Amino acid sequence: MGLLQEIIFGLVTGSYIAIAAIGFTLIYGIVNMINFAYGEYISIGAFIGFLAANTLPGPLPVAVVVAMIGGGIVSIILARGFFTPINHTGPVPMLLTSIGLGIVLRNGLRLVGGRSARYFETETSTFQFDAIPDLPVGPVDLLGDFFVTSEQLVVVGSAVAVFASIHLLLTRTDVGIAMRAMGDDESLARVRGIDTQLIRDSVWVLAGVLAGLAGVLMAVQTNVSADTGFSHILQILSAAILGGAGSPYGAILGAYVIGLVLAVSTAFLPSSMTGLSSAVAFVILIAVLLVKPSGIAGTEVREA
Amino acid sequence: MSLLDVVDLDAGYGDLQVLSGVDLHVDDGEYVTIVGPNGAGKSTVMKTIVGIAACLGGSIEYQGTDISGLSPEEVVRERIGYVPQTDNVFPTLTVEENLRLGAYVLDEMPTDRKRDVYDRFPALAGRTDEDAGSLSGGQQQMLAMGCALMLDPDVLLLDEPSAGLAPDLVDDMFDRVDEINEAGTTILMVEQNAKEALRRCDRGYVLANGENRYEDDGDSLLNDENVRREFLGG
Repeated sequence: MGLLQEIIFGLVTGSYIAIAAIGFTLIYGIVNMINFAYGEYISIGAFIGFLAANTLPGPLPVAVVVAMIGGGIVSIILARGFFTPINHTGPVPMLLTSIGLGIVLRNGLRLVGGRSARYFETETSTFQFDAIPDLPVGPVDLLGDFFVTSEQLVVVGSAVAVFASIHLLLTRTDVGIAMRAMGDDESLARVRGIDTQLIRDSVWVLAGVLAGLAGVLMAVQTNVSADTGFSHILQILSAAILGGAGSPYGAILGAYVIGLVLAVSTAFLPSSMTGLSSAVAFVILIAVLLVKPSGIAGTEVREA
Repeated sequence: MSLLDVVDLDAGYGDLQVLSGVDLHVDDGEYVTIVGPNGAGKSTVMKTIVGIAACLGGSIEYQGTDISGLSPEEVVRERIGYVPQTDNVFPTLTVEENLRLGAYVLDEMPTDRKRDVYDRFPALAGRTDEDAGSLSGGQQQMLAMGCALMLDPDVLLLDEPSAGLAPDLVDDMFDRVDEINEAGTTILMVEQNAKEALRRCDRGYVLANGENRYEDDGDSLLNDENVRREFLGG
């Protein structure tokens, strides 16, 4: 397979990682916690979407909308139950709580949903591009034939729509500007009359909606299981940190870097070493952080 | 009746009591300053009025209503303008967005008032879409005042507005406070630069160790032997 094909895979992976990384980084920047249970929010979104797709009439977008709404509701309920009551205790207790909550949710999903993976039944068209010349450099083909599926186009298109919506929300609406203000300085936000709890709740709902969407997209690309989200949480975390923790724009950039590095390293590494491709993403992460500790787009990491 | 009436105020943070029995009042249209040495509790007076520090006793009346015990987000709804000493703008938000949040508690964006702010501080008008964090210290201070003025407040509380400004900007800043007061806004200002503040104000309070020490019109305090010796360096 040529490099072009790997780049397409990388863009698709980057797209669903980016959607999740935005939700993850908004929680980090505004609620001021690292939510390790976020992978499970994604898995729950995938399950809700799967149930909706198999019980409701209508096409896949209906299931996506149901998963997004369900994700938002689950997120705010979990936040109200577990995180809001300990909000004053600081980032470390909240992080530990989220790890514990993640374990419980993951095993709960496994208990209810069973161990086997399920697959979305989608009708996919494949667009084949065969007339591309090869450009071999050593063992690697820098061009080559490639294909794009309609599913992949939907994933990338959804991500672009999310980026545009998030940008409009954060720069054009009072709620969005208030979210960024809280990320900057919570006590000044209160002086300005911003209801900080309301804004935190809005962030939880928004992050849940994004997790629901990311869950269905991941599940369509891979499968539905208790590990759908958990298997991506380190990539999401890396994308958020790589971009500059707390910055949604940085998270998008970080996600595509991770997605492309994962895909391209698969192409460059000998086939016996493809297991190392996920390690390559972390090598990049460490390298970037050594040069610029605040991440690609970050100014400074908010003090805990 | 005074616009703002603080009576026998005890206040502090958590278990730490900073103020004991502070009295002060500000009449409509007045320009009042609070001066005193470091750690006298000057800023704490302001922070208690706006609900950041805890009111442990006494009362704070604004326009005849008790506002002690209100949270900051409630006090701002009384349209009391407050400019904190430091961290008084959102650095990653643009100038325009900062002003928008200045009017967050209002139902509608007061566009005419925003124009007034840009007229008053022309340096901001050319940088509306730049991040507030990229502004100079003096410009950030102007933006912070502009945010408070977006509420069209009856009283403006200024916490050490000259702190951190380059010396040549300090006079300019005091001139702007004079202008705001002359336009009809009541001013309560805490200042480190005691001599200049007392020269400019109508009336002043000298605070030390969290208690009232002296109260008089500004010129009298400036000329008072004891005040000069104890607080103004002779």
